[in-house]
Amino acid sequence: MDDVQEMRSPRTLHGGLEARHSSPSYTLGKRRTDHNLLIPEADLKGLGAELHYTQRGGDITFHGPHQAILYPIISLRSIGIGARNYVETLERSMLEFASVYGVKARAGHKGETGVWVGDRKIGAIGVRISSGITSHGLAFNIDPDLKYFEHIVPCGIADKEVTSLRRETDDMLLPSEEVIHEQLVSCLAKAFSYDDVVWKEDPSFILDNQEEYKD
Amino acid sequence: MALRMWASSTANALKLSSSTSKSHLLPAFSISRCFSSVLEGLKYATSHEWVKHDGSVATIGITDHAQDHLGEVVFVELPEEKSSVSKEKNFGAVESVKATSEILSPISGEVIEVNTKLTDSPGLINSSPYEDGWMIKVKPSNPAELETLMGSKEYTKFCEEEDAAH
Repeated sequence: MDDVQEMRSPRTLHGGLEARHSSPSYTLGKRRTDHNLLIPEADLKGLGAELHYTQRGGDITFHGPHQAILYPIISLRSIGIGARNYVETLERSMLEFASVYGVKARAGHKGETGVWVGDRKIGAIGVRISSGITSHGLAFNIDPDLKYFEHIVPCGIADKEVTSLRRETDDMLLPSEEVIHEQLVSCLAKAFSYDDVVWKEDPSFILDNQEEYKD
Repeated sequence: MALRMWASSTANALKLSSSTSKSHLLPAFSISRCFSSVLEGLKYATSHEWVKHDGSVATIGITDHAQDHLGEVVFVELPEEKSSVSKEKNFGAVESVKATSEILSPISGEVIEVNTKLTDSPGLINSSPYEDGWMIKVKPSNPAELETLMGSKEYTKFCEEEDAAH
């Protein structure tokens, strides 16, 4: 199948970027760590949120408006890296992106995968690798409603705050979210040593690969 | 929900020659890869699982090369006893650094034992991938499948080629 062929060739990386304008949701990974949801599931509706179970790695997290959610769909074998290296590259993409705004972020310490500003988490990662191909990816907080994170132990790491680009850049005027998304994808492309980025509005290719996300 | 796709292409950026971009992925040396151990007497799949065949029982796990590329394993999902596995089909998953990776069975058969120690000590896969980190024991349904797998020398070469190709 042509799409799969193209995907396996190292010349092009594909991915999707989701800018959620609706359905704030909490998602769980393969370990189903629902003990890290601090309110009863029945209360979620009142918050306007849903709960989804996925097959990705990682603990519980929140996805909502004003977050950039990126999911590269890459054949790791075709670019010659393993899971750990892939996750580190995703972290590097977010670090690079944060620095564009003068935000000094760092990769997580051992056992705390993700991107942090001091002890505040600004970017999260949860990946699935199936037949060597990646799905799910990263979520970077641009300006989500951080109160939603109070109802979970984010990523299973207690006593650490969650933050956003908005919060870390104080008075700075941020450009439009579309510009921000393009910058983030450019940082990702650069981290994987790729040059140009081409945008397409047709979601059908990506949606086929994201079937499992609808649990 | 607004959904946009992106694709990024490369001209020559992935070649091993020196490039102006800071290529953290392609160091000049990769000592850890050279030293991944490969055991004699085992059979290997291209998806980096190993099989030890002892009479009517085949023990299966993932290789040193695989655990090194995964990072520290924090969770292992394994099938139940009496379930069946099929060659090149997924039978479980390991999670490391927030990435869940599927494991494929090198052979077909019935699962007769599962390494329950991995529930509490998933890190055994990293520290002892060929011994304490074994995953399942299978009664092979088609022993001829073992012949299609690689021996230790072939697998070593396969890893070197895979790592060098980029």
